[in-house]
Amino acid sequence: MDSLSFNINGGYLEGIVRGFKSGILKRTDYLNLVQCETLDDLKLHLQSTDYGNFLANEPSPLSVSVIDDKLREKLVSEFEYLRNHSVEPLSTFLDYIRYSYMIDNIVLLITGTLHQRHISELIPKCHPLGSFEQMEAIHVASTPAELYNAVLVDTPLAPYFIDCISEHDLDEMNIEIIRNTLYKAYLEDFHSFCKNIGGTTAEAMCEILAFEADRRAFIITINSFGTELSKDDRAKLYPRCGKLFPDGLSQLARADEYEQVRQVAENYGGYRTLFEGAGTNPGDKTLEDKFFEHEVKLNVNAFMQQFHFGVFYAYIKLKEQECRNIVWISECVAQRHRAKIDSYIPIF
Amino acid sequence: MGSLFRSEQMQLCRLFLQTEAAFNGVSKLGELGVAQFKDLNADMNAFKRKFVNEVRRCDEMERRLRVLYKEMTKHGLTAVEASHEPETPQPREMVDLEAKFEKLENEVREVNGNHDTLMTNYRQLIDLKSVLEITERFFKPGEQNANVLDVLTSDEGTSAAAPPGIDVLAHAIGLNFVTGVIIRKRIPGFERVLWRVSRGNTFVRHVPIAQQDADAEPKSVFIIFFQGNRLKTSILKICDASQATLYTYPEQEGERADMLKSVVARLEDLDKVLDEMRKHRERILLTVAENVMRWMVKVAKMKAVFTTMNLFRPTHDSLIAECWISIFDLDRCQQALRSASEMSGSAVPPVVEKVPTTEAPPTYNRVNKFTRAFQGIVDAYGVAAYREVNPAPFTIISFPFLFAIMFGDSGHGLLVTLFAIALVVNERKLMAKRSDNEIFNTFFGGRYIILLMGLFSVYTGLIYNDTFSKSMNIFGSAWRANFATPADNGSIPGWLVDNKYVQLNPDTNQTAHVMLIKHEPYPFGVDPVWMVSINKILFSNSFKMKVSIVLGVSQMLFGVILGIFNHTYFRRPINIICEFIPQLLFLTCIFGYLCFMIIYKWIAFEGVGESAHCAPSLLIVLINMFMLKYPTEPCSAVAFYGAQQGVQTFLVLVALVCVPWMLIPKPVVIYLQRKKQQRPSSYHNEAYSDTEPANGHAIDGHEGIQLTNSKQPEAVHDVEAHDVEAHAGGAPAAAHGEHEEDMSDVVVHQCIHTIEFCLGCVSHTASYLRLWALSLAHGQLSEVLWNMVFKMALSMNGIAGAFIMVPLFAAWAVLTVGVLLVMEGLSAFLHALRLHWVEFQSKFYVGSGYLFQPFAFAAIVRERLDEATRTKPE
Repeated sequence: MDSLSFNINGGYLEGIVRGFKSGILKRTDYLNLVQCETLDDLKLHLQSTDYGNFLANEPSPLSVSVIDDKLREKLVSEFEYLRNHSVEPLSTFLDYIRYSYMIDNIVLLITGTLHQRHISELIPKCHPLGSFEQMEAIHVASTPAELYNAVLVDTPLAPYFIDCISEHDLDEMNIEIIRNTLYKAYLEDFHSFCKNIGGTTAEAMCEILAFEADRRAFIITINSFGTELSKDDRAKLYPRCGKLFPDGLSQLARADEYEQVRQVAENYGGYRTLFEGAGTNPGDKTLEDKFFEHEVKLNVNAFMQQFHFGVFYAYIKLKEQECRNIVWISECVAQRHRAKIDSYIPIF
Repeated sequence: MGSLFRSEQMQLCRLFLQTEAAFNGVSKLGELGVAQFKDLNADMNAFKRKFVNEVRRCDEMERRLRVLYKEMTKHGLTAVEASHEPETPQPREMVDLEAKFEKLENEVREVNGNHDTLMTNYRQLIDLKSVLEITERFFKPGEQNANVLDVLTSDEGTSAAAPPGIDVLAHAIGLNFVTGVIIRKRIPGFERVLWRVSRGNTFVRHVPIAQQDADAEPKSVFIIFFQGNRLKTSILKICDASQATLYTYPEQEGERADMLKSVVARLEDLDKVLDEMRKHRERILLTVAENVMRWMVKVAKMKAVFTTMNLFRPTHDSLIAECWISIFDLDRCQQALRSASEMSGSAVPPVVEKVPTTEAPPTYNRVNKFTRAFQGIVDAYGVAAYREVNPAPFTIISFPFLFAIMFGDSGHGLLVTLFAIALVVNERKLMAKRSDNEIFNTFFGGRYIILLMGLFSVYTGLIYNDTFSKSMNIFGSAWRANFATPADNGSIPGWLVDNKYVQLNPDTNQTAHVMLIKHEPYPFGVDPVWMVSINKILFSNSFKMKVSIVLGVSQMLFGVILGIFNHTYFRRPINIICEFIPQLLFLTCIFGYLCFMIIYKWIAFEGVGESAHCAPSLLIVLINMFMLKYPTEPCSAVAFYGAQQGVQTFLVLVALVCVPWMLIPKPVVIYLQRKKQQRPSSYHNEAYSDTEPANGHAIDGHEGIQLTNSKQPEAVHDVEAHDVEAHAGGAPAAAHGEHEEDMSDVVVHQCIHTIEFCLGCVSHTASYLRLWALSLAHGQLSEVLWNMVFKMALSMNGIAGAFIMVPLFAAWAVLTVGVLLVMEGLSAFLHALRLHWVEFQSKFYVGSGYLFQPFAFAAIVRERLDEATRTKPE
């Protein structure tokens, strides 16, 4: 990406997104939020931030799900604004951000259908960023092949799905495999897309996506212990665009227990520290939180450079984290369970 | 009343209000709009404050009102404007209001809910009706269905000899079908999925339903033919996913007719019920429309009062507030509080106590509708520091005047004046309209500026003798083109006929009949003869340039002189000696002298004779003055009065001395002062002396004011207790205000200041030449417009000339307004603004204060109403 001409098409949107970014809650905001005693207090405090009157038209008493919906609505409207004003290649880039939510929605719908839930009850649970036209038709399909032929073939996810068609029926295990295969294909595709854009975008995005890929590899491995997933199948699910590729991944493929995963991470400077601080004892941070923290750090770093697309991705991810934080705090406030209220992940 | 020259004297007051009387007190103050409250709970979270619950209840009420308002506008009702502004309701009325709003909201919601269920019912029936009617058509043999028949029959290989009904046939060959209704825009996706799932083994037809009500989405009836039960489950699922509603289609003709009949009957019933329901809703909303504005104002006021009370520090039975009040408003404020406490029957009277402080008070200039816009111009640059000299009163005249110098054309000025008069005369009406148009509001806000600008432009236009670029010969030109000698017998002499250019010689030493000028000059403004002369530009340039310089230097000198009012008021003698005097000398010695020369040249040199050719060239004289050169050639550079060399050398030397005078003594004096006071309490620097007068006033009035005649010993005691506390609390704030400037900063500051002033004098003087440049541009543009556009019509002969006049006049008029009035006007405005902000105000104005923003209902209510009425239903 040529920084000389970036502003012709991307300047306005980058300015907008940097403006949005400065509205992300700061540490002091969180300190105020955790002191809230009711959700109405929370609303009052959020009014003084960039969120403004986003809850003004909701009748009291508030519920956490209303807050969650409204937060999501705001994020989506911001994303739609960016998407509607973008031109190539930024619009494709933004579509790529959308794909991960589409994957989540597909998996959610398949799982729901598997558990005999009615479609009308599942649709509202889908993330609005990942909704697509044929989404509701997913429950028609009973095998992956049907899924592909009837529904997914028209969506941009079709190329990712090719590898899954061979699976025969949809059970819990296969759904997980489908999800991870889709993710793997998606991440690799996104990674190569960013690489093709080149310049600062590639620099910033490949860093973030590589971490995303490695995180998935670690988590898949850890979660697969004690299940019937074979090591060969497992190895097929690892996204091959991270720093672990190829040596780390082949080591992970052989791992049998947590300790061995840890051994693999030992060889990689960035990941060693994540594993070192993690634990399951009360008071310790979980590995998942550690990963989230690291992700936030990477995303914040994306804002250090100018004239690239990474800021859009980073903003969406940071905002998502912020939504998670607010929902977490609201849950703690609503359930009067204050012991863990501090386990949110501050961004700035 | 305070004058506009300095902002009003402010007093920090501490109010002790009984909790029960506080609400009324604050609401009274809100009506007056004279007090700016300070936040005494800055370190407290928003949700921990005392009245946060009341604020929240007000929020809830506002939400309900918004819902009602939205509902009301959705059904085409407009709110009735309140005839008079309602008073702030008492806190106890809050429950009533809440109950009222809740009841209304619930009623509306209930009616809406019922209406919606009935509506869905209604729509379903309509859908069913459409299905019955339209499907009938599918099955009737006819043109439209020819292809249906083809498809069905060719597949099965049977002959297409008009079967009695396709349904029967379809049944016969093992075909199933489903019918239903789908939202029209979903059809493409729906068909695609169907095709993919069935691998092309379905046959789909759809027909749009005629739109019946505007709210519903357009829908279509569809029918799907398919074979086999397995496919049926898939199709049903797809229909479900696409939110299509399926309706069973009775197979018997008779059944169908019965069904249709019952559906129509039910639709009629529903229509009646819905109608009743709508009427009921309208009745509710009518009461809303009548009252909603009043309610909104009431709630807004109540919320504002509670929000303000959240700024107060609560004690066990009273609230303590601190606020800035202009000393002119103290009495009104006390009266209001007293009446409020009587109203709420509180036993203990409110106490107003003056608090001494070193904190800089806010700047409050009391403006009226005329001065507001001019004060706005000054405030846009920077709000004056407390009690600093305010440039606004001078701006009122100098701003339109400088504008008019650039915009000098009496015709254009007249149009501007008329526009402004129209705004001013209709201001009540326009104000009531509360327009949303930003551009219009800008013009409307500045209507008095525009009025003065127009009037001044008429004046300067008359001086320039320019009316739409034409001159008016009112008094008769002072020049006469009288070349005829008695010998010519009144006919034009032959030499004059061939001569295209004649030079008029202003020589008065001629005999009467050849003298070309009258003895008196043209009585007012520029002689119209210049309009027809070819050296008009040369003449007007020289005149306008010199006028620009003279006016510019006068304005800057005035600015420097205004500085002394600040220095004496804030008791900064050092600034008078080390800044004001050298600045004044520097400016007068160089540019004051230039002005003197300009005026001297006008008076002393005739247009004829020896001196005319040797009139001094001012630019060369000024340059030579600095180079201390006094050449003898050419004669325009020669000294033109006796002691010129001596005077000029003296002036240059004085100006040169002024530079180190400005630069060095002040830092030295400050340094010595600091050295002398190298003791713990050495806060004596400039910043301290700045606040001294304010301190003095505060200490003068440092005693609590009892509001009642019967003195209550407890209250006094209370006051004293708080006093001590206040002193303790005030100390850190005071130390904070008097920051000690580092010595090196002082030196650097002074360097910058000196350089800026000296260079500024030169560049600012040159900058005033923009007055001439814009005036020239304006004059030339309007002349070009006249010559290129309208003159063509005037110079055309015959009947065509009369017709062409109409479009050309239109073009000329449009361009005059668009280019000359609006665009040129804006640019002249901009330059006048710059001359005031940079050239004038930089001489004395700091503008480091902050605005006084009193707690006033008027502003809050207006804002709230604007906000509410602007949220139109999407």
